[in-house]
Amino acid sequence: MPSEFQFTFEGKPVAAREGQSVAAALIAAGERCLRVDEAGNAKGVVCGIGFCWECRCSIDGVPDIRACMTPARPGMIVRRQRGLDGCSDR
Amino acid sequence: MQRSIVIIGAGPAGMAAAIEAVRRGCRVTVIDEGPRPGGQIYRQPHPALHGEDFAEPSELARKHRLIDGFQAVIDRIDYRAEANVYAVFPNGEIHLAQGDRTEVLRPDAMIIATGVREQAIPFPGWTIPGVMFAGGAQSILKAQRVLPGRNVVVAGCGPLPRVVAAQILRAGGSVAALASLRSLRAMLRYPRSLWCGRDILREGLRYEWTVLRARVPQFTGYVPVRAIGGERLEAVALARIDAEDRIVSGSEREIACDLLAINYGFVANSELAAMTGAEMRRDPVIGGWVAVTDAFGRTSVPGVFVAGDSAGLRGALVAECDGTIVGAAAAVPSTAVDGAALKTNLAATMARRTRHLEFQQAVRATLRLPDGIWRIVTDDTLVCRCENVRFGEIREALESGHRSLNAIKRNVRSGMGWCGGRTCLHAIASLAEAATGQAPAEMMTPRPMARPVPFAAIARQKRAAAE
Repeated sequence: MPSEFQFTFEGKPVAAREGQSVAAALIAAGERCLRVDEAGNAKGVVCGIGFCWECRCSIDGVPDIRACMTPARPGMIVRRQRGLDGCSDR
Repeated sequence: MQRSIVIIGAGPAGMAAAIEAVRRGCRVTVIDEGPRPGGQIYRQPHPALHGEDFAEPSELARKHRLIDGFQAVIDRIDYRAEANVYAVFPNGEIHLAQGDRTEVLRPDAMIIATGVREQAIPFPGWTIPGVMFAGGAQSILKAQRVLPGRNVVVAGCGPLPRVVAAQILRAGGSVAALASLRSLRAMLRYPRSLWCGRDILREGLRYEWTVLRARVPQFTGYVPVRAIGGERLEAVALARIDAEDRIVSGSEREIACDLLAINYGFVANSELAAMTGAEMRRDPVIGGWVAVTDAFGRTSVPGVFVAGDSAGLRGALVAECDGTIVGAAAAVPSTAVDGAALKTNLAATMARRTRHLEFQQAVRATLRLPDGIWRIVTDDTLVCRCENVRFGEIREALESGHRSLNAIKRNVRSGMGWCGGRTCLHAIASLAEAATGQAPAEMMTPRPMARPVPFAAIARQKRAAAE
């Protein structure tokens, strides 16, 4: 794996370093809203360690993946989940 | 025959327990959620992520000494990284998920060393992206080498918010405000504790100096009462809490920020201990419901031990001593635990544990929350973030006579979402206590699955041959 690479979030390129989580790379890129919940509330990274599940997003078509627990990989396609729509990506 | 021990968690307590149990000739399995050992407090960044730690050198020395000790015996351990225990049973069975499969273990003894998580007090707007737990923000900084915010407000009680503020400053961020529910001067009432904890205190003073030198605006007696923003945080309103624990009207100060990092102490990860059927007790200052344990970490269930913070918050130094003691106790038949030999053998560790525990007296004084603090939770405040349950609904359930967390859950769904109640249940217990004068008698019954696990992984289950 290259030590610096890119993945996409909502179609936009995001820079990441090897060993960084998706959440950390998104925060570094200035992204805060990672999901819009069923009630329409914007949600972001909260606990940072995996217990709150608030930062879950769609990664490479699989919904409900925690951004804070998932290492970033080159070319990953990360999408903001909206309500239960994330499920239709499968 | 060689005794088999399964240790859940590879933080300070779990690592120390593993080192001791291996030393005593046991067959040891360590199951940990993280990709590398260390737990939360001794979290290790990915080896490719070079950068600074912004921590005190003495802290880093402690961390590396223990991790090196663990690494020295890791070849003799069945070490399962990135694995989740999703159920334990009174018969000693441990169900874990790792990758795309699950497995059932049935050791002679299990040591639960699952640590703590952060405690929040919900308030209007706290679901806005940019409101984080302070330790979570710290983990982004220390394990990911990313500044969690450019212009940060840190708030809460106890030592952690102050440490996080200092580390953000050292990393080049700016801290717009540091709000503390109470001054750390409360610690001065415990001179003996401070003497016992003088090494940690010295580290704390260095962090304090970083904050002072940066001339961070400090708001003592203030708490965040409102987060402002839509898709991202724009500002936070702080308000003063008076001596009668009331929000002082007109004391609100709005401060622009892109990150609000909060910590109101910690909640024990005690769900697995409760699942074994172990007797539990509740003490909000040390993490809510914790297993009742003796000096050797034994619970009321034979063969089930708890070590470190998940048995009650006491910090990494006590946790490490705990791990050694509990690891030794789990390594011998229960009849030998009560014998004089083990006690003599562990005398030095027990003395060290007592000294570190003494310091916790002073720390606990800073973590005790006044009852009135729960007034920042308005009827409109989302308490259960997963299921979008507002406090008003919980209050109505309480007023209708639903006093247990199980009954509240059945009525309003709080605690039924993705996080399994780990983010809100402790707050709901305290809110119920503040509203009715009596805390719920029991925690919400923890059941499998303690973590979400795909059905496919359960279908691919491996059971160890009968031992």
